[in-house]
Amino acid sequence: MNLNELLENAAIRFAAKPAVIEEETVITYGRLRDQIEATTTKLAALSLPPGCRVGLCHPNSVAYVVLTFALWRINAVVVPIPVECTEEEITEIATAIQLEAVLSPKARGQSIEVSSACFFTRLAPLSSPDNHGLNLAFVRFTSGTTSARKGVALSHETIRDRVLSANKAFGIGPDDTVIWCLPMAHHFLITIVLYLSVGATVVLARHVAAKPFLEAINRWKGTVLYAAPFHYAMLARDNSGTSIPSVRLAVSTTCALPQDTSEDFHKRFGISLAQALGVIELGLVALNTGDPRGRWNSVGKPAGDMQWQIVNPDEAGHGELAVAGPGIFDAYVAPWVSRNQVLRNGWFFTGDIARVDAEGFLFLLSRKTAVINLAGRKVFPEEIEAVINRHPSVRESRVYGKPHSHLGEVVVAELVLEPPDAPVDSIRQFCREHLASYKVPMHYNVVAALPRTPVTGKIRRAAPVA
Amino acid sequence: MIQAQEIETKLLDFLKREVFAPDVAVTPETDLVASGFDSMSLVRMLVFIETDYGFWIPESEITGDALKDVRSLAATITRLLNAR
Repeated sequence: MNLNELLENAAIRFAAKPAVIEEETVITYGRLRDQIEATTTKLAALSLPPGCRVGLCHPNSVAYVVLTFALWRINAVVVPIPVECTEEEITEIATAIQLEAVLSPKARGQSIEVSSACFFTRLAPLSSPDNHGLNLAFVRFTSGTTSARKGVALSHETIRDRVLSANKAFGIGPDDTVIWCLPMAHHFLITIVLYLSVGATVVLARHVAAKPFLEAINRWKGTVLYAAPFHYAMLARDNSGTSIPSVRLAVSTTCALPQDTSEDFHKRFGISLAQALGVIELGLVALNTGDPRGRWNSVGKPAGDMQWQIVNPDEAGHGELAVAGPGIFDAYVAPWVSRNQVLRNGWFFTGDIARVDAEGFLFLLSRKTAVINLAGRKVFPEEIEAVINRHPSVRESRVYGKPHSHLGEVVVAELVLEPPDAPVDSIRQFCREHLASYKVPMHYNVVAALPRTPVTGKIRRAAPVA
Repeated sequence: MIQAQEIETKLLDFLKREVFAPDVAVTPETDLVASGFDSMSLVRMLVFIETDYGFWIPESEITGDALKDVRSLAATITRLLNAR
């Protein structure tokens, strides 16, 4: 199957209904289908081999949606690249994932313009990637979550399955209007693809300030919000008195929801924030619509057809969270490790320590993977450490997310320097040269040594508590 | 009472160090948005102010007028810090 079938089915039923709204431009489902068709024709003329991997580096826009579906139409595999990435980072992704081409706002050499301010550049991968017979649609580059494995691959069928399962929890339909503010390069499948498969309308909110955001909700009668705690904290601080009566569901995602954000938002708007747990390998695992304020720190009950178990619980019931269900990832890409090699009797072991209460609500206690969430953007500490460690004055480093009441987390780097009084400013400049702006640490602490685990002697990860 | 001049000097240092490319000459009259100041720069600046003054300025207070240039931004931040 191809994910375009989902959108085409929606376009048949809702041809005249708005699909995506960007500024003053309202794109109906019929028009969106036509734009995808036109872009598909342009891309098809480039004779890309089926199953090739194409980097998509483009800001949130109608064009982003069109390009993704058009790439799927020609059976290319979409690899999102955040627009903030440096050339060096794009090259790293291109090499690791064996990209055939990149679509980006920057023309490079023999680039071809395929849509407004979006250029197609063919790369020369050293070898053609092997998709192992899978009908791949998507590879999410995940620099070093488990250091050696780069990229999580998802097939069209897997994405369809996780969209269907997730929507059993979200319950989004053609009467919904989603006000969208997260970067599409980080969030697209159980969100944008889901919304467009059920005939909902997506409004792209340009401004992250509270006033224009609230105006967009009321102008377009938004029913669903899907954002990071950062955005909800910002809205809760608005003192204009504007209410948002059309909103029926506000999902908090990307990092743990602080209690004061949950309470402040409820106090300001009378809406309970529903915390969600999404995992790159799994899709939507849990959603707390059952008791969002009473159990504000719970991610809720299993979403859709997901199941979980707590493995080897201690006396307090704390153990490793394992998950089974539809839409589990197909493979890690570099090096290739198939789903079956990763799952144990059908269960994916997340590495997160969790507990489940008597009513079946899930609580995350610590996360094994140290992904940092800065205002809705995912940051992988190992990737930043790898850059910092290349600096001649750095002996070793540890990067972690420090909880921040407004941003989720901020990126902090601990440095062991040689000599110990080497200037930190040159490390800051080095990071700015080699990393996307949102990955550059905000704080630098010089330390004499880093904490290590007693048995293996590895640098101990600072495990943020959810 | 915090003086606007103090904030302006701090902001100029911060912008040179953490936001703009080394070849951008930053002065109090520098047009911020035209020089590449974006939403991530704003977040970074708010963290910088919070670290130094222990106060988080609501990003909604930083409007288009405040971002006209470094001087306007410094005046806005000074007003908000003094109004705590």
